[in-house]
Amino acid sequence: MGRWEELEHTADLALHLWGVDLADLFATAARGMFALLVDLEHIPLTEERWFALQAEDVEILLVDWLNELLYWGEREELAAYKEFDFVELTPTSLQVRVRGGPATEYHGYIKAATFHNLEVRATEKGYETEIVFDT
Amino acid sequence: MAREAHPQEFERINEYTWELSRLFDGRMNVPVRIYGNERIFEQAFGDRSIQQLVNVAMLPGIVRYAMAMPDMHQGYGFPIGGVAAFDYDGGIISPGGVGYDINCGVRMLASAIYYEEIVPYLEELLAAIYRNCPSGLGKGGAVRVSRQDIERVLETGAEWALKNGYAERDDLACTENGGRLQGARADAVPSRAKERGRPQLGSLGAGNHFLEIDVVDEIYDAEVSEAFGLFKDRVVVQLHCGSRGLGHEVCKQYLRRLQSVPQRYGIPVPDRELVAAPVDSPEGRDYLAAMFAAANYAFTNRQVLAHFVRRSFEQVLAGKVSEWHLTQVYDVAHNIAKIEEHVVDGERRKLVVHRKGATRAFAPGHPDLPTVYQETGQPVLVPGSMGTASYVLVGTEHAMQETFGSTCHGAGRMMSRRQAKRKVLGKDLHRELTRQGIVVRAGSMAGLAEEAPAAYKDVDEVVASVVGAGLARKVARVRPVAVIKG
Repeated sequence: MGRWEELEHTADLALHLWGVDLADLFATAARGMFALLVDLEHIPLTEERWFALQAEDVEILLVDWLNELLYWGEREELAAYKEFDFVELTPTSLQVRVRGGPATEYHGYIKAATFHNLEVRATEKGYETEIVFDT
Repeated sequence: MAREAHPQEFERINEYTWELSRLFDGRMNVPVRIYGNERIFEQAFGDRSIQQLVNVAMLPGIVRYAMAMPDMHQGYGFPIGGVAAFDYDGGIISPGGVGYDINCGVRMLASAIYYEEIVPYLEELLAAIYRNCPSGLGKGGAVRVSRQDIERVLETGAEWALKNGYAERDDLACTENGGRLQGARADAVPSRAKERGRPQLGSLGAGNHFLEIDVVDEIYDAEVSEAFGLFKDRVVVQLHCGSRGLGHEVCKQYLRRLQSVPQRYGIPVPDRELVAAPVDSPEGRDYLAAMFAAANYAFTNRQVLAHFVRRSFEQVLAGKVSEWHLTQVYDVAHNIAKIEEHVVDGERRKLVVHRKGATRAFAPGHPDLPTVYQETGQPVLVPGSMGTASYVLVGTEHAMQETFGSTCHGAGRMMSRRQAKRKVLGKDLHRELTRQGIVVRAGSMAGLAEEAPAAYKDVDEVVASVVGAGLARKVARVRPVAVIKG
C-alpha cells in the first residue's frame, strides 16, 4: 500500500508520495491530498463518479487527476474522495471509478496541484514523487 | 534546477540590496537581486525562494534583474515577492509568474468617522458586513449574475459594476488601470472558469483573504495622507481578495496547455511550473487575454464587496454618526503581469512586468495615475498579518528606475501553515485578539491559526526595508479594530 508524508513548505502544502505501482501512487496522491482537507475516516462512500483522462506524460496526468478531484469536491459543495478503482492506468491515460461523499467542512483549502519541480520517479519499490499544492 | 546559493556568494550593493551575479549559474540571463535588511536577507536562505529566483533569471528576454521584495518566501515557480520584467518583443509571459489567484489585491476605503464614534457599533457593524459580504469556502457571492453578465465582467471589469450600481465613478479612477485591463477576452477564458466564477462574484473566499476595519494611528507624511483621504484616528476599511475559483481555473488550465509550448519555441524551462510562451505568440496572447479577463473579474469582485461594505456602514451607522460615507483610497493588484513602458538604459521599452506578491508603486507624474494622485504618486497598500498594523506607502522615482515601479505587498510568510497550526491554537489567538480589543469573525479556528501573526515576518521590518531601499515612502499606518477572516 502506498503512503504519504507531509513536507514543510513556507506558504503552501506539499506531499512526498510513494506507491507500489502507478495506480497505487495515484490513489495515494488523491487520499493524501484529501487528508489535508478533511478527516478521511468520516467520509462516507455515498457518491460514485467515473473519470477518463488523457495527458502527454505522467506528470501532467497526475496534476490533471488531482485537479479534477478538487474540482468535483468543490462542485459537490465540499465532498472528498477516498476509494479509487482504476480500470486503466498508463503514464498517459486513466479510467477510474472514484468513491467518496460529503464532508461537513474542509479544514484547509487547496487552489490547485502544481507542476512545481514535479517528477514521477520509478524506483526499485515502485514509484515516488513530491507534489506542491497552492493553498 | 539551480544549485543552492550561499550568502557569501551575494554582493551587498547597499544596506538593503543584495545581488547574485549571473556568473553563479551559466544559464542565468540577468543577476538576482534581493531587497531587505541583513536579517531578511539571511531569512531568505531558510527556504527555496532564492533557488526559485535563480530559475526566473534563466527565462528568456528577462530585463535587468530577477528581483525579490523583502516579504519574499518560497512559492511554486516564482517565489512570492518576485518581480520580473520581460521584453515584449522576444520575451516571455509565464502563468507561474502570476499565480493561481490572478489579481489578488487590496482595496482601501477611507472615512471621516472617528474611532470613538464607531466603538459602540463595532460588533453590529462587523456582523452586518459578515452577513452582506460572503466569506469562507465554497460560499456563494453577494450578487446574482447571468451568463451574459459574466462575459461583460470579464471584458469590462469594474465598469460593469459602475453600470449596475455597485460603484461610484471615483472608485474606478482610484483603481489600478481604472478597474479594467484592455485586451481582456472572455472567449479566452475556459468555460469551467466562468462556471466557477459566476456564483462567486462578490465573495471574499478563504485562506489569507480578509476584510478589516482599521483606525489610522500614525501619519508619516501629512500632505500625502491628506491627498489620500487619510487622517489620524479616523476609520478605514481594507479588503484583500482576488479572482476566486475563476482565476484559479484560468491559471490551472493555461499552465496545463502551455506544458508543451516551451519546447516548440525553444524556451529553456528550469521548472515545469515556470512554463512560458513568447508574449507575441498565439499561446502567449491567449493567456494574456484570459489573465486580463480574470483580473477584471477580481477588480469587479472587490468593487462589489466595497459596495456591500458601504451598504453595511449605512445600515448600521446612518443617523448615529455625522458622516458614514466611504471613499476609495486605492485598489492595488499584487498577483499580476501587465504590459508597461519603462526606461531601461536610457531607452523606453515595452515590457511585460510580472508581479507575484509584489505591488506596483508608480512615481508622481506617471501618466497611468489618476489626476488626484499625479502630484503624490501611487498609493501602495501593504497589509500586515492579522492583528498587526498595515501601511500605506507611496511610489517613488527610485522604484521606477530600479524595480519597474514595484515594491512589497505584505508581511510575507515565514512559518508553514502546518507549523503555525502546531504552535498556535485558533481559540487562543481569538482570545488574544479580543484582549487587544480586536473584534474577530473567522470561518474556522484552524484557518485562523494558520494566519497567526507569528507565522509572518514583521511588517515593520519589511516596510523599513523597502523604504530604506528607496522603493516607497511611508505615508500612514493603520491598526485593526475588527477583522473578518475568510
